[in-house]
Amino acid sequence: MTSYRLDAGGAINRAQALTFTFDGQSFKGLDGDTVASALLANDQMLMARSFKYHRPRGVVTAGSSEPNALLTIGSGLRAEPNARATVTELYDGLVTTSQNRWPSLKTDIGAVNGLLSPFLGAGFYYKTFMWPASFWEKLYEPLIRRAAGLGKLVLQPDPDRYEKCWAHCDLLVIGAGPAGLMAALVAGRSGARVILADESFTLGGSLLSENVAIGETPASEFAKRTIEELASLPNVTLMPRTTVFGWYDDMVFGAVERVQKHVASPSPDLPMERLWRIVAKRAILASGAEERPLVFGGNDKPGVMTAGAVRSYLNRYGVAVGSRLAIFTNGGSGYRTAADLTARGIKVTAIIDARQQAPDLGPDGVRVIRNGAVVATKGRHRLESLIAERAGFQEVIDCDALAMSGGWSPIVHLMCQRGAKPIWSEEKQAFMAPNVGGAFVAAGGAHGADTIYACLRDGAAKAAAMMGELGFSAYQATLPEVEGEYDPSFAPVWYVPGAKDKAFVDFQNDVHVGDLGIAQREGFRHIEHTKRYTTSGMATDQGKLGNVNTAGIVAGMRGVSPAEIGTTTFRPFYTPVSFGALAGAARGEHAAPVRTSPLHGWAKKNGATFVESGLWYRSAWFAKEGEKTWRDSVDREVLNVRANAGLCDVSTLGKIEIFGAGAAEFLNRVYCNGFLKLPVGKARYGLMLREDGIVFDDGTTSRLSEQHYVMTTTTAYAAEVMAHLEFCAQTFWPELDVRFVFVTDEWAQMSLAGPKARIILSRIVEDDISNVAFSFLAVRTVTLRGGLKARLFRISFSGELAYELAVPAGYGEAVADAIMEAGREEAICAYGVEALNVLRIEKGFVTHNELDGRTTADDVGLGKMMAMQKADFIGKRLSTRFGLTAADRLQLVGLKPVEADKEIKAGAHLLKENAKPSLANDQGFVSSACFSPTLGGFIALAMLKSGRERTGEHIVVWDALRGAEVPAEVCQPVFFDPDNTRLHL
Amino acid sequence: MALNLLHRHVLEDHILGFHGGANPNHLSVVRRPVIFSVLAHAGREGQVREALAKAEDIAIRACGPSEWLAVSQTAGAEHVAAQLSAIPGVSLAEQSDGKVLMAIAGPSVRRILAKCVAVDLHPDVFAEGQSANMMCCHVVANLARTGADTFEIIVPRSFAGSVFEELTEMGREHALTASFLDA
Repeated sequence: MTSYRLDAGGAINRAQALTFTFDGQSFKGLDGDTVASALLANDQMLMARSFKYHRPRGVVTAGSSEPNALLTIGSGLRAEPNARATVTELYDGLVTTSQNRWPSLKTDIGAVNGLLSPFLGAGFYYKTFMWPASFWEKLYEPLIRRAAGLGKLVLQPDPDRYEKCWAHCDLLVIGAGPAGLMAALVAGRSGARVILADESFTLGGSLLSENVAIGETPASEFAKRTIEELASLPNVTLMPRTTVFGWYDDMVFGAVERVQKHVASPSPDLPMERLWRIVAKRAILASGAEERPLVFGGNDKPGVMTAGAVRSYLNRYGVAVGSRLAIFTNGGSGYRTAADLTARGIKVTAIIDARQQAPDLGPDGVRVIRNGAVVATKGRHRLESLIAERAGFQEVIDCDALAMSGGWSPIVHLMCQRGAKPIWSEEKQAFMAPNVGGAFVAAGGAHGADTIYACLRDGAAKAAAMMGELGFSAYQATLPEVEGEYDPSFAPVWYVPGAKDKAFVDFQNDVHVGDLGIAQREGFRHIEHTKRYTTSGMATDQGKLGNVNTAGIVAGMRGVSPAEIGTTTFRPFYTPVSFGALAGAARGEHAAPVRTSPLHGWAKKNGATFVESGLWYRSAWFAKEGEKTWRDSVDREVLNVRANAGLCDVSTLGKIEIFGAGAAEFLNRVYCNGFLKLPVGKARYGLMLREDGIVFDDGTTSRLSEQHYVMTTTTAYAAEVMAHLEFCAQTFWPELDVRFVFVTDEWAQMSLAGPKARIILSRIVEDDISNVAFSFLAVRTVTLRGGLKARLFRISFSGELAYELAVPAGYGEAVADAIMEAGREEAICAYGVEALNVLRIEKGFVTHNELDGRTTADDVGLGKMMAMQKADFIGKRLSTRFGLTAADRLQLVGLKPVEADKEIKAGAHLLKENAKPSLANDQGFVSSACFSPTLGGFIALAMLKSGRERTGEHIVVWDALRGAEVPAEVCQPVFFDPDNTRLHL
Repeated sequence: MALNLLHRHVLEDHILGFHGGANPNHLSVVRRPVIFSVLAHAGREGQVREALAKAEDIAIRACGPSEWLAVSQTAGAEHVAAQLSAIPGVSLAEQSDGKVLMAIAGPSVRRILAKCVAVDLHPDVFAEGQSANMMCCHVVANLARTGADTFEIIVPRSFAGSVFEELTEMGREHALTASFLDA
């Protein structure tokens, strides 16, 4: 047994044992363990295989930067790949599985890649798999993906719930180590609203892992007491298990809280994870510092880990990672680890110090090799010994684990996500946090503070300063004394040359020093190019450990300072975030809000099939028994409207009420046709242009009283028209007294169309609605039998005698039912938007199929509506531009197939007869097409070059997508009742 | 023939699933509130605001510059309309059927609403009596604080089902119940 649980110590609950499995084998861990600490306690050092060469790997760290120990946690639908064992909280019954190995972790066939490695260096794929190009997608990529890779996704739907949440605070403290705790305490006691977030399940950060005394108590005890005090303050919110992953505009931070990831049987009432958007007036980054690995031959052997990680496992989890450890260090951290180990009776076989001279002293009886280096490691599935070199002499050092320390880097990721680059400090030999303004500052280790006392002091000072800025009287904290600190200074050693085995820089992507050299030689010298060429820093850990060494090594190869090399770009997310958390509750039918009409229930009970139209669900057709296809229903509905009557839900059309003495003038300016003289009690079809002369939207506007109108818009453009009206009123013509309000939702509106519409309606409405009393385009408030007030409009979108009846939404279903009942003898039917569409195509009425943002009023045959004699209207000036008046523009025409049973499809393009099908010969396109049951054949509306003068010409409808060519005849766009006799019945 | 027309609330089907009494966290839907959009014409905003503050049995919600919602759970539509239209410089549009009024109350109400709106509802920031238009469950809504732990939400009718479902889903961990106010 080489790694094991010590008999005492650690912030773990020894009374609570947890059972879990790894690759099917059952192990025991303790409450407070991570998967990594529990595996180490069970002498399971080998945890993974590397990405490319399938080399055996163990943990390198004890935190979120872990590159190696990626496992699949959970099973079945809850299996989650690529979880870092070092931060995954252990729970009873947890199932964990290793990845990227076959047939087993110990015997992995893929390890043959290691033997082929001379051929698999950086750039190998780019150069090798280039030809033939068609092989990439079909052969090369799938092969490479199978050979190299990470865990596998579960492709079934996620069984868990997720949600998103907002939080607001005066101060957000990111990280609950010494600096963060002190900052939160100062701000909390000053009375500010504070959020303290930390990615770990236990707050305390490095205080849990470092063997010092603060105010005469152990550091972990100090952390516990401080957290208890923070928890007692009502203005402080503690958020453990919460990773702040991104910093966004306006001081909004993104964070993910793992609510139930650590729970054996998750509650169905709680989300698995919760995504937070935290709006903070001020924020302190107290994310600490990362210890750098050293780059030497065989530095990826299981058992080689950072000195700080060794201390974490020892002090926080009570785990010895080996029985005989060697230390390789360039600073004080290695000596502290040696001291902590020997104090717990664990043998340290040698301290190999890269420095010639150092102030640090090893523990009694431990050999210190100064100016030394590790040049090779031995052992297969874990370290068995190493070869150290000093002044050209090599010797074998016995050890089963190696603690390495290459110095420290502040964790500045979040502060660099919005464009600022970290700044190289010669003094600290590290990339430091940039100045991003006073609202967000780094404190403690993240700011380069290198002792716990310095962290406590920096956190307190930064928070106190911010309290002053926010107008709180800052609490003056008394800093406790810290005893037993060590000097963490270091002298950088970027890598140890002359190694036979690979010296890894990026463990997760298997990038070694040799790869960086190839990139430089091949000209990929900029650090961003080096990254792309070698994939260094491109893995799921985004180079948290390796990037600084990459910069240092590349700097050395080029003979410049790391300041000149710089870093690659930092982007959210700090650590991976699940798609479930990002989606929250917005999935499946809740992906977007659902909008239903007041007549939804009526439509449903009449057998409607619904179609999504924007957010609306509109009734598309009403299938009757025996109807096999949608066309059967639509044909019947159309014929019935033309012969008898039909009722259609038009509630989704936008409705805007317009008030004011300036309303008439206002409408006259926003519509291209005249509106000044519209009398009270009348509706008028209006066409709105954009400023550039292109049609914007259409609809009817009715004058209800002298200074009161109601406008209808298309369903799709309701919000846009409302915004347009407000914009015009507020910025163009503030002198006009006019106000608007959206009333779309207030009214259930139904269109009753067909020759029998009046008879049916007269059974519902008390008022006289004869053709004389209520002529075409009349509008009136009427009383329904029984007393309900309603708005009645005599407008038609079908070419038939038709009315639109608007009643308060809550009565919609009852009124529609009453109309259906009243029209039973006349064989009334419900009809949907599909039939509505056929009816309007037969009449040549345009919709946004034709008003598609490219057409002018003249293009769609409505040129005469433009009242050019008006002083001005929106679109008037630019509608006279040459391009918009050219004779060869596409113009609205009708099309009939030469052979009546041939179908014309919308979207197909138009060619001259005998022209070669090609876009160069393109003459236009089909905008709307349908089968007309009234005419017994297919018809279409189309936009055709100079179309109006081509009536009678035979053209070809070319549907390249479906490979069809249909000869068709150009005709007038009005197919049915061109004289509108039926409207005025 | 006189028609016997039944008024139907849009949330009738959605509320069916809730039985039994109200929990501490409860969402109540007002069945027939009277709601009007009130618009002040140019130059009249100040006067109209003052006059609205004096209206009886009518709660006033701020929607934007020169625009309010007038809400009453006690007065009839005609009474409300008469009071409001007596104010000079005002235009009115009834929205009693176009808007759905819900009250959400209970000890966890802010924690539930934090999942629905982006606005800070801390009492120092959004005090009792305050109201504003904001997005609630991805839908434009008017939110008012009517008590320390009570808020009223007004949403467009067509979106009410969607908002109701999301509110109750977000309230699930706090055992939120729902009913019509008169139930």
